[in-house]
Formats: sequence, structure tokens, C-alpha cells
Amino acid sequence: MTGPLTILDETYRVAWGDLVYIRDNIGEVLVTCLVGPLLYLLAFGFGLGGSMEQGSSQYIAFIIPGIIALTTLSATFSTVSMKILLQRLFYMSFDELKLCPIHISSMVLGKTLAGTVRALISCTAIMAIGHLVSPDVTFDPWVFVVVLVAGFTFSCFGMLAGMLCNHTQRLNLFNSIAIIPMTFLCGTLFDVSALPDGASWVVYALPLTHVSGIMRGLMLDTGVPFDSVLILLAYTAAFFAACYWLIRTNRC
Amino acid sequence: MTPETTEKPDDEIIEVQDLTVRFGDLAAVDGISFSVRRGEIFGFLGPNGAGKTTTIRTITTIQRMTSGRILVDGFDVDKDYLEVRKRIGIAQQHISLDKHLTVRQNIKQHALLHKIPRSEMDARIDRAVELLGLDEYMDRLVDELSGGWKRKTSIVCSMVHEPEILLLDEPTAGLDTMSRHVLWDLVRTLNGRGTTIFLTTHYMEEAELLCDRVAIMDHGRIVAMGTVDELRDIVGRVTVETTDAEGRTVRRHFADRGSARTFAKSLGDRYYSMRRTTLEDVYLSITGGNLA
Repeated sequence: MTGPLTILDETYRVAWGDLVYIRDNIGEVLVTCLVGPLLYLLAFGFGLGGSMEQGSSQYIAFIIPGIIALTTLSATFSTVSMKILLQRLFYMSFDELKLCPIHISSMVLGKTLAGTVRALISCTAIMAIGHLVSPDVTFDPWVFVVVLVAGFTFSCFGMLAGMLCNHTQRLNLFNSIAIIPMTFLCGTLFDVSALPDGASWVVYALPLTHVSGIMRGLMLDTGVPFDSVLILLAYTAAFFAACYWLIRTNRC
Repeated sequence: MTPETTEKPDDEIIEVQDLTVRFGDLAAVDGISFSVRRGEIFGFLGPNGAGKTTTIRTITTIQRMTSGRILVDGFDVDKDYLEVRKRIGIAQQHISLDKHLTVRQNIKQHALLHKIPRSEMDARIDRAVELLGLDEYMDRLVDELSGGWKRKTSIVCSMVHEPEILLLDEPTAGLDTMSRHVLWDLVRTLNGRGTTIFLTTHYMEEAELLCDRVAIMDHGRIVAMGTVDELRDIVGRVTVETTDAEGRTVRRHFADRGSARTFAKSLGDRYYSMRRTTLEDVYLSITGGNLA
């Protein structure tokens, strides 16, 4: 019988090594995950925001949810994708995982759990910093749920990339065509409605746009865009299913 | 879950029937059939690219087969892959350890993945570690170990769940003589405890010393199979080695010493040596000296 408890137990077993690494190297993990978002906060929040006529405080409140959304992507995608790529092509330990009597769902959940935990740790740290620098930002407990779902979604995306690429250069292609555009265009640093019509439709199709929208709705009390919740969940399901299928059909 | 077939002889723990694995136009494994008996050490011998690793990867459910059927302890690798995986351990040719974790953490990770109950975990790890004498290395990062110790750790990881079948893909490749002997002793010890061993190698000496039966593979096909003595019988148990007029080594094989002596006398004053046929002689004779 495969019950939820079995899947949870197996997920922990798969993730154990990665979680131990995070525990034993928490300082390194924090630095890796936080430097980027903090630079965005400094450069855009204080630097660019400070030059605005109304001052930086309004803009900082605007971009903190965006930076938290961005952190769910930056803290997960590159580490998960690179780890899966290395485990597949260089250490061959991904084959070992496939050899274990573990359900495929648990393999995907386990391999993405460490990424999700990284996202949770990093976003919590950014939220704490955000609370210090901007009193306009509120913290709804649902923010943590969104961080978990978004972290898991982008970890699955990273896993997918790590399983599809057969060398590190190919992984750079994912960065160039998906990660960098999402980083700058998906409403993290500015309102996507400012984009020309055609561009805003493209941006609307990307998952980070919806994470930014949900975060901003929750943290600035402007209302949660429920269509974004549905689109994010659709991405979660699609990335998970793609990872599952690649392992099930031995295509990675 | 019950095995797929109940009619098979009890002593066959792996049955491979007409297995073909193609990569595009290339048949890496081309319609091979063989079986491995419970409790034996079975060796797959062949040059690089012969299809040994592909076969082992297919048996272990990592590689999809193009056609054919494989049963492991009665379970079909295609349909009952979880049951198959419970029964096997594999130490791959490439050492697949997490170099950022210690030896202990790597072994524990494998124990967790193989669903060893937490109450038994420490005892299982201790037994595996004691068998290999890894105690003093337990808290070192894998990255800090020599190749031999990494290989040992890899084997401990593959057997920590005490599988019925242990598949070793080129277990001594790249190791020094001392480490090879230590690993051979380990293979014998594990086999002595009842574990069926299926190993691939391209070292003739290793196959001859360790294996109860050997299959010689070349270009994706099994070209000969049997005990070392049976394979010797195929080409002849006695070998006469001499050189031709251009100084090249020439080997002739004979069924008995009498025939070999008769041939040796015909060589006149030419230098020759007469000896028992080795597995290497068999291999070279069958494959036409195709050892890569």
C-alpha cells in the first residue's frame, strides 16, 4: 500500500543527505541564498528608490514582496538543477537513487525538499530584514505557504532542468532563456502593467509573475489574485508531473 | 507480492531471456540469454563496449530494454521494479558517493534509501563497516579518501541493506594490487555468507580467481559461457606458445598434453612453452584478441 505516510517517510529518506548538508553548512547556505536578494534590495530599494521623488520608502515596500518571490526562485533553481546534473552525469548517484525501493513521487519530493527548505530559510531571513526596513510590509502566515509552494515549484523546475540537460552548458541555456528573464521581468522590481501589451502577456505566462502578485497581495494587503494562485498550482503540477514522467520512463 | 513465475528452477535467481538494448542503430546488447544461479559468483567478461555495463544496468532496472525479458528472483524488472530493487545491491563502475558527506553519512543515506528500519540501522551499518574494516575512516569526508577506500565505501553502501544479489560493475578497475586482493577477499566473504555475486570485469585473472561461471561477451553478444574449466575445454586445456618467423607470439591449444607434446616436437629447435590454458587464452581465442 502506498499511503501519504509512506510517501512522507520516503521523502525524508531521499532528502536526508541534502538536509544534513544544509544543517552542517548553514552559514554557507545562507550566504549563497541571501547575497543576491540583499543586493537587489540595496541597489533597487535604496539606490534606485532613493532617487525617486516620493523617496525610497514606498518603493522598498513594493519590492520586498518581489524580492521574496525572487528568492523562492534564486534559492532553489540553480542549486537543485546543478546538484541533479552532477548526480546524474558525474557522481552517478542519481542512478543509485533510481535503484532504491522508493516511489517515484518520493524521489521527486525528496530531491526538491532541500531546495524548498533553502527557499524557506532565505525568505524568512529576507522577511525579517524587510520588516526592519519597511513598516508598510505586513506578514501574513499565508506568505510562508506561498513560499513553500513556490519553492517547491521552482525546485521541481530545477530538477527538470537537471534531468533534461546532458552538460553544464545546456543548463546555462535554461538560465539565459528562463531564469534571467523571470528575474527582471516578472513583477519583482516593477509593476508588470507598465510593460507594453505584448510583453505583459508573455510575462503573465511565467510562474514568477504570479508568485510576485500573490506575495504583494498578501504583504501589502491589496488582495490575493486568485487566478495567480491557480496558475501557480498548475505550474507546480506540471513541473512535478514532468519530473515524475522522466524518471518513470527512464529518460534521464 | 508473489513472483511472476513459480515453475522456474529454484537455483536460478536471475533469468535473462533474449535481451536486446538498442541505442539508435547500435545494438549495445544483442539478443542475449543467460541465467545466474543462487549463491554463485557469476562473471561477465569482455572488452570495453562489449555490453556488460548495459546488461547490468538493465537487470538493475536503470536502463530500459528494447526487447526481451528479465526475471530477478521471479520478479519481472519491467513490471515489478520495486520488488527487484529490494533484492539487489549494486556498486557501479563510477563511484557514486556524495563527496560532501562523511563515510558514515553516505552509508546512512544508503541505509535510509533502502528502507532499513531505524531500529536496525546502526547494527546493519556496524556489521557492514566491520566487514570492510572501515572504522577509522567513518567520520572522514569521502572527498578525503583514496580511490581504494572510496571503492570500499561504495561496496559497503551497496550491501548495507544485505541484498540477496550484489552486482559489481568493474569492482577493481583502477585499483592497486593490494586493494584488488582486499576486494577479492571481500567478494569471497560475501559469497560465503550466501550473497549471489554478479560481477563484470575485463581482468581475466579476476574472473578466473573469483567466478564459478563466466560469460564472455563481445559486440553485445555472449560468445561463450560456462565454468572456467568448461571454457578451457572449448579451446583445449593445454596451450603451446611459440613465436613465428616474424617474432609474433603464436598460441595453439590442445585437448591433452599428449597432443600438445606431439605438436611441440614438430617445432624442432624453436623455443616454445607448454602450459595449462588460461582464461585469457580462451578469451583471445574466442574473441580474436579483441581486448580493449
